[in-house]
Amino acid sequence: MQELIQQVVSGLASGAIFASLALALVLIYNAMGLVNFAQGEMAMFATFIAFTLIIHGLNYWIAFPLTLGIAFVAGVVIERVVIRPVERAPVLTLVIVTLGLATLVNGAAGFLFGYVPRSFPSPFSVQTINILGAFASFQDLSVIAVCGIVLIAIYLLLQRTTIGLTLRAAAHHPEPSRLLGVRVSWMLALGWGLASAVGAVSGIMVAPILLLEPNMMQTIIIYAFAAAVLGGIESPLGAVVGGLIVGLTVNLAGAYVPFVGGDLELAVALAIIVGVLVIKPNGLFGRAAVRNV
Amino acid sequence: MPSALLELENVHCGYGQTSVLHGVTLSVPEGSIVSLLGANGAGKTTTLRAITGGVHWLGDIRFAGRSLRGRHTEDIVGEGIAHVPEGRGILTELTVDENLRLGAHKRKDRDAVRKDYDRVFEYFPVLNERRWLSASTLSGGEQQMLAVARALLMKPRLMLLDEPSLGLAPLVVRSIFEIIRTINQTDHVAVLLVEQNARLALELSTEAYVLEVGRVAVSGKSAELQGQESVRRSYLGY
Repeated sequence: MQELIQQVVSGLASGAIFASLALALVLIYNAMGLVNFAQGEMAMFATFIAFTLIIHGLNYWIAFPLTLGIAFVAGVVIERVVIRPVERAPVLTLVIVTLGLATLVNGAAGFLFGYVPRSFPSPFSVQTINILGAFASFQDLSVIAVCGIVLIAIYLLLQRTTIGLTLRAAAHHPEPSRLLGVRVSWMLALGWGLASAVGAVSGIMVAPILLLEPNMMQTIIIYAFAAAVLGGIESPLGAVVGGLIVGLTVNLAGAYVPFVGGDLELAVALAIIVGVLVIKPNGLFGRAAVRNV
Repeated sequence: MPSALLELENVHCGYGQTSVLHGVTLSVPEGSIVSLLGANGAGKTTTLRAITGGVHWLGDIRFAGRSLRGRHTEDIVGEGIAHVPEGRGILTELTVDENLRLGAHKRKDRDAVRKDYDRVFEYFPVLNERRWLSASTLSGGEQQMLAVARALLMKPRLMLLDEPSLGLAPLVVRSIFEIIRTINQTDHVAVLLVEQNARLALELSTEAYVLEVGRVAVSGKSAELQGQESVRRSYLGY
């Protein structure tokens, strides 16, 4: 029982990390009907920025929000410079562009920071704390808390502010929104900025668990895809729920299903993607796609 | 003669190779209601889209004396033109209230916005009842009410209405037209009304233009056009 609770908590912690990256994917998917394959690499790069700030002596809790700010600006700039020129291009073109961006960011990180894995400092103690007789690691609980706060902040921004309202309007109904004076093009850039910042959270949270190196996010992004697809790629809430479910499933399967072990965990994520696409293509929170033919 | 709020001068435009407007000239005086009539495909919707920058055009379009050439839709709208497009442009992913808030989201005069909200709910009580529901749950008539209400909340000097009667029951159309008249009179909002229902449009408007394949075929005082049987028969179909 004790072990189960530990596994659940650490599953939720991984889940919160997947959820953050999945939410980043959903934000961009909503804004432009495009899966941003560079999302993980952008998060990894942001994590290197945080790392650089911290090893130069900046306090973790200053470096963290500062990095999110930098990631936000970088996201906006990337949209303006890289995506804007191909905004109206066919989806395949956009997919290729984001794949190119992924390669570029990955290479840039390797060039600037090297490929030697580095241990990323964690501000959370590695102690376990006793909750209702079960031991949970403080690290895991803190990851859940930090991701939770960020996700709630994004929710409040989208649902409770005028800027969030215009973001949602531009994402779902670009043409009518324009007629209401919404600057749709800027909203896309803003969406990229937000996604970039939320993605950075996942990178910074996962780095102490894995080791920081340019390929750090390449498995995480698969889990995030699984989470986004499971939740319904258009639903921010779905991304969060999907992330937690994927985190739990992968963790529990790794711990309790003998042949999965540590090696086949990624296969579990892929099985979730395929399974969802076969059984319920719109995911848990997605709506059936309606198309005029 | 009062100066025109909106002037189109020899406007040509089209989609790709297909040209739709072949030199449309019309004007909407400040505070007036002008109807733009004509058969399907005559270019009525395209005329409205040209005004708010939805299609590329040649010639000149001036609003309040300033040319709208090369300006983006968002800026044109910000000058005080509320465009209720074909199909009403309801944001069905959002709630009724969010649709209304988007209408007013650029305004800084908060107290006036609050008053306008009250007025909107007075005109269309059903929107108040459905305020927190998804706009997708509204009926066609209610969506049209929402579109007009949202346009009013933009505090425009000119409203462009694209077939507000389309697909609605006659009684609903009547009440919406009444409210358009009220808005016109109380706020001095000019209205350019595109309609297939020529009879109703001529009753509401003071001036009318009839488009035929991208050109103004007939224009004049609405009352006079109503009286001319030949015009009614050949162009208006009633």
